[in-house]
Amino acid sequence: MAVAALFRFPLLLRRSLPSPSSPSYVTYYRRTVLSDGFSYRLRSFLRYSSSDGGGGGGGSSGNDLGGANDTGIVVSEVQIPNYLKFSDEELMKQCKFETFRVSGPGGQHRNKRDSAVRLKHLPTGIVAQAVEDRSQHKNRASALNRLRTLLAIKVRNKVDIDAYSPPPELLQILPPKSTIRTSSSGSQIGPNNAKFVPGMQALLDVISACDGSIADSAKLLGLSTGGLSRLILSHDGLRMAVNSMRAAKGMKPLK
Amino acid sequence: MIRIFPSSRFTSLLSAAKPLRSFACSSSPTREPPQCASFAEKKSSPASNSLSFTPKTPLFLRPPLHATPLSEVWKWHDWAKDLASSVEDSSTNSEDSLDSVVLLRELKWLIEDSIVDDDPVIHRREIGDDCEKSVKLRASLEELYDLWRQRIEKRRPFQYVVGCEHWRDLVVCVEEGVLIPRPETELIVEMVEELVTRDEWYKKGIWADLGTGSGAIAIGVAKVLGSRGKVIATDLSPVAIAVAGNNVQRYGLQGMVEVREGSWFEPLKDVEGKLVGLVSNPPYIPSGDIPGLQAEVGRHEPKLALDGGIDGTDSLLHLCHGASRMLKRGGFFVFETNGEKQSKMIVDYMTNDLKDTFSDLRIVSDFAGIDRFVSGFRL
Repeated sequence: MAVAALFRFPLLLRRSLPSPSSPSYVTYYRRTVLSDGFSYRLRSFLRYSSSDGGGGGGGSSGNDLGGANDTGIVVSEVQIPNYLKFSDEELMKQCKFETFRVSGPGGQHRNKRDSAVRLKHLPTGIVAQAVEDRSQHKNRASALNRLRTLLAIKVRNKVDIDAYSPPPELLQILPPKSTIRTSSSGSQIGPNNAKFVPGMQALLDVISACDGSIADSAKLLGLSTGGLSRLILSHDGLRMAVNSMRAAKGMKPLK
Repeated sequence: MIRIFPSSRFTSLLSAAKPLRSFACSSSPTREPPQCASFAEKKSSPASNSLSFTPKTPLFLRPPLHATPLSEVWKWHDWAKDLASSVEDSSTNSEDSLDSVVLLRELKWLIEDSIVDDDPVIHRREIGDDCEKSVKLRASLEELYDLWRQRIEKRRPFQYVVGCEHWRDLVVCVEEGVLIPRPETELIVEMVEELVTRDEWYKKGIWADLGTGSGAIAIGVAKVLGSRGKVIATDLSPVAIAVAGNNVQRYGLQGMVEVREGSWFEPLKDVEGKLVGLVSNPPYIPSGDIPGLQAEVGRHEPKLALDGGIDGTDSLLHLCHGASRMLKRGGFFVFETNGEKQSKMIVDYMTNDLKDTFSDLRIVSDFAGIDRFVSGFRL
């Protein structure tokens, strides 16, 4: 399996470049400083799945998620680290950090307002970018947040449905009506809160384990089908991820 | 609007061979009276009639004194957008043309810096009596018309227009006469951060940033050194001294960063052989390339900070010699260069002409993959 992983992984790396704000004008360069070997070790735990896991994948890409172009879903067979639990610094170390530059000598030669950055998470090949801020530093922070959302959407962890026990981050995003919520779950965390992202990842793991069935997932989560649908529709990325999963199984999209 | 007044205050180091001038703390009108605490012990010397500049106040720090009808601001915004969009790739040299996508983004930032509540300007709603409302501007509308015209017609750099640059997590005040810090240069601070995280020894000693300009690198380094950090920032230009001093003060780092006026190592005689770190982004552009520079750079930024002599290495070579004299054993240096050939040349020079002086000489690339920096350690 490890051998297969290594052969298939290059698919992830061979992606088209994202189009920067003015494609004809900007040349794309690679940064030469690379991340550590840690990420390469992780690669062997991952399998890129376009046919059996993610299915076409087209649905989960979106410019509203910050211009991420990757459409593949990464499915793990072995328990992999939960990337969302890494600190920003740790996550950055797993990334290749790139900037967009006009061609030419750079440095003192140029006054450039383009502080766009692009992060490529090497273990998964997921790409996130940000252009809107003046400071490269702040763009890097936005790109990291987007990377977290994309990791939640695209990295699937295996879930044993028969012995399922929902993690606290998932309970936090469930509506109060859910019967599996306890008093310690606190009030519901909405889609605009950064803490929604890890809960969303756990939710997608459940839906993926239920083969995209909303009814089955709702049962596990102590919700009505309608209640779960409303939760899914509250976040664009979440909705698209679920619909892409359903499309792969020949199911109708949620609207 | 640069006011010139005789400097009233001098500081000198007790150990210094000759009096060294610290920044004569002038500050923006909105700030409290400055304190001139430098980290080294000092005594006042009699005032002399040397000149000092008062740095300009950037737009975002000005008081919002100009109440203006929203409808007038919208009119200005429309005009500014039209002007930005009408910019064609007129120049055949794409390196030197304006780009309307970038200009529109800059316009948004100009609004952010000059209007207190920018939301009704950016997200216009043509309903109700919105246009009768007024918004508070930090500059008169007349000045905003003028500033945007300067940006486009005169190619005045956006950072000089608003008076600041966002660099790392800092907002650094800049004005004509100091180089606008470049994103590439952020890496110098990152290299220092990496080093001092690895080895505490570097946090305890004195660092120097030569040709500090706006003071961006010195401030960035001081922040990564932590509370025990000491950085001396030097510059030949009195404007840079004033601007850097103001930036240091805005970040409350007067106790850690001392700004000294003078050429390269001249104001550092008292710390010869005592530095644990030396950083610099010296002028490195070959003189022959200066006339062909992008208009924003060539027409507006100080030649003093750009022109590095015939092959661009005049200052760099001077810095190499200085580094051998100024650094302690084990002291670290990193210099920004023009890249590629120049980096190799500097490393060759340090290896051959300054034999047995430095170790671990490295060339480090910037984010664009250009061999931008040379770093190493004093043996």
